[in-house]
Amino acid sequence: MTLAALTILGPLAAAALILLVRRGAPALALLGTGTALFGALFTLVRVAGGGRYSATLPGLPDLPLGLVVEPLTAVLAVFVSVVSFFVMVYAVGYTAEEDRVRFFAGMAFFAAAMQALVIAGDWVLLLAAWEVMGFLSFLLIGFYYERPGVGAAATRAFLYTRTADLGLYVAVFVLISRSGTSDISRTLDVGGPAAVAAGLLLLLAAAGKSAQTPLQGWLQGAMAGPTPVSALLHSATLVAAGAILLIRTSPLLPSTVLLVVGTLGGVTALVSGLIAVAEGDLKRLLAASTSSQYGFMLLAVGAGSPIAATVHLIAHAAMKSSLFLGAGVFQRARGSTAFADLRGAGRERRWTFAGFALAGLALAGVPPLAGFFSKDAILAAVFASPYVWLLAPLALAGTFLTAVYVGRALGLLWRGGPGKGPGKEAGEGPGPVAGAGWMGAGLAALAALAATLGLAVGPLAGLLGEEIPEDLLIAGLGIVLALGGLPLGWFVPAGRLLGPLHGPAERGFRFGGGFDGLVARPVMAAAYALDTLDRSIHAVVLGVGRASLAVADASRVADERGIDGLIRALVRGTRDLGGRARTLQSGLVHKELLLAAVGGAVMLAFLAVGVVVGL
Amino acid sequence: MMALYVALAVGAVMFGIGLYGTLSQTNLVMIMMGVEVMLGGALVNLVAFWRFLHPTAYPGQTFFLIIMTVMALDMAVGFGVGTARFRSRGSVESEEARELKG
Repeated sequence: MTLAALTILGPLAAAALILLVRRGAPALALLGTGTALFGALFTLVRVAGGGRYSATLPGLPDLPLGLVVEPLTAVLAVFVSVVSFFVMVYAVGYTAEEDRVRFFAGMAFFAAAMQALVIAGDWVLLLAAWEVMGFLSFLLIGFYYERPGVGAAATRAFLYTRTADLGLYVAVFVLISRSGTSDISRTLDVGGPAAVAAGLLLLLAAAGKSAQTPLQGWLQGAMAGPTPVSALLHSATLVAAGAILLIRTSPLLPSTVLLVVGTLGGVTALVSGLIAVAEGDLKRLLAASTSSQYGFMLLAVGAGSPIAATVHLIAHAAMKSSLFLGAGVFQRARGSTAFADLRGAGRERRWTFAGFALAGLALAGVPPLAGFFSKDAILAAVFASPYVWLLAPLALAGTFLTAVYVGRALGLLWRGGPGKGPGKEAGEGPGPVAGAGWMGAGLAALAALAATLGLAVGPLAGLLGEEIPEDLLIAGLGIVLALGGLPLGWFVPAGRLLGPLHGPAERGFRFGGGFDGLVARPVMAAAYALDTLDRSIHAVVLGVGRASLAVADASRVADERGIDGLIRALVRGTRDLGGRARTLQSGLVHKELLLAAVGGAVMLAFLAVGVVVGL
Repeated sequence: MMALYVALAVGAVMFGIGLYGTLSQTNLVMIMMGVEVMLGGALVNLVAFWRFLHPTAYPGQTFFLIIMTVMALDMAVGFGVGTARFRSRGSVESEEARELKG
C-alpha cells in the first residue's frame, strides 16, 4: 500500500520541494513523477490477477479517507504516471525559456491530484482531488497570463468545469446520504430513483470535465496554455477525470442513465468531430478531437462496456499526448499553431512529423496501431448493446470524422512550402528549436506507446479479468471508414466537405448562446442574487452591531452614574467623616479631658448596666 | 457599716469636685489641683475598703502607698511642664496651648 501512496506523494513532494527550493525544478519534477511511475508499476504487479488492497486514513468523522488499489485503478495509475512522466521529459525542453518553477510545480501537483483521484477509495478524497485539479487547470491554462485572452480562457475553463462540478457535489451528497458511507465501492449498489438521479448528476460532472456537448467550448479555449499542459490535460488528467469517474461508477448506472450517457457521448463524438474538421488551428483541432474521443468513451460506457472505454482511454492518452507534443514542436518551430502558419512544417521536421503521423493514424484507427484495437472494442460494444439503432450510427459517423480530421491535419502539415518562423525569413531551411532533444525524447516514447499499445490489449484484459468485445466484421467496417476518411481529409478542403455545416462548425456550434448563455449569464444572475442576499445579511449584521453598541453605551452610562457614583459617594462620605473627626483633635487639653471623662462615664454606664442585668 | 458608706460618699464627692475642677479650669495649676483632688477621692475609697472590708490584708496599704508615689511624680512632671511652658510662652493657660491640634 505504501507503494500506491508513492504515486501521490512522489509528485506532491516534488511540487512542494520545487516551490521551496526554487531551482532544479525540472530534475525535481522528473524525480517526483518517476517515483510515481515506479510506485504505480509495482502496485500493478502486486494486484495483477485480481488482488485488492485498501487503506483507510483518518478523515472526517464517520467519513474516513481511503485509498483503494484494484486492477482497474492500478492500470489507470500506471497510465497516468507514464504519460505525466514523458510529458515532463518533453516539458524540460519546451520550457527552456519559461518560468520553470511555476510550471513544474503546477504540473507535478496536477499529476499528484490526478493520481489521488484515480486511487481514491472514498468520495471525500475524490472530491478533494477533483477540486484541486480544477484549480490547477485554471493556473496552468492561465500560465501565460500576461498575454491577451489567456486569462479569459482560463476563467472560462474554470467556470465551465465548476458549474458542472455542482453535479458531482449533489451526486456525492445523494450517494452518501442514501448509503450512509463514503466508501465508493459500497455506494455503488444504491438502486432506484437515487441511482438515476446520482447517475445523471455524475454525468453532468463528467460532461463538464470531459468537455462533452454542450459544454465543450472551454476545452478549445484551454489551448491558450503551454502545449505540455494541453498534452497532460487532454490525455491523462483533467479531461480524463470525467471519463474515469463514469468508468469507476458504471456499476451504479441504471439502463436509462446508460442510454443518456451513450447518446451524449455519441452526439459529442459527432459534433466535436465536425468542429475538428472545420478547425483552422492545429491545437484547437486536437482539442475538439479530444472531446470527440471522450465522446467515444462515454459511448462505450453507455453501451455497457466500461472495459472498452478504459482501453480507449489508455490508448487515447498515448495518442493524444504524442499528437500534442508533436504540435508543440511545430509551434516552437513556427511560433504559431494556426494551420495558415504551419503549412509544410511537417516536411521540414520529418522525424517529428513521423511521430505525429504515427499517433494520428493510430487515432484514426488504422491497424495495427493502438487506436484500431480500442476503437474496434468500442464499436463492437456499441453493436452488442440494446440501443444499437441509436448509438451505432453516431459511433460510425464519429469514427469516419476522426479519420477525416486526422487526414486533414496531416495533409495541411505536409503540403505547402517552407513558412516563416521566429527569427528566420521564409525560404530558409528548418531552424534549430531550443530544447529539441528533450522534446524529441518525450515525443518518441509516447508515439512508440501509441503504436504498440495494441499488443498490450490482450494482457490488459486478462489483468482486469474482463473480456474486451471484439467483432471481425465490425473491425473491417472500422478499417474501411478510416481508410476512406483519411484521403478525403487529405485532399478535399474542409469547406467543400462540410458544405453549409462548415460555418457553424467553425464557430464551435455555439447553440444556446454558447459560453455566455449556458454558463456566464446564469452564473452572473446567481451572483447578483447572492450579492443582494449578502447585502441584506450585511445590513442585518450592521444592525446587530449598532444595537450592541447602543447596549454598551447604556451600560457605560449606568456604570458611570451608578457604580462610579456609588464609589464616589462612599469616598466623599469617608472624607467628610474624616474631616469631622479632625475637628475633635482641637489640641485643647481641657476638651480632650472632657472627652476622656465622657468616655469614662460611658464605660462606667456600660459596666453598671452589665451589673444590673447580671452578666 | 454606716462608716463605710460615709467614707465612700466622701470619696465620691471628692472625685466629683476634682473632676469638675479639672474640666472647668483653664489654668494648668488649677487643672493639676483638680486631678489631685480626684486621686485623693480614689484614695479615700481605697482606704475605706481596706479598713472596713479586709482590715488584715496588707496589699491595700501597699497599693495606697504606690498611688501616693504616683501622685508625687505626677505633680513633679506637671509642674515641670508648667514651668517650662511659663518660661517659653509666659502663660500656663491651656486655652492658649494648641500645638497638639491634629
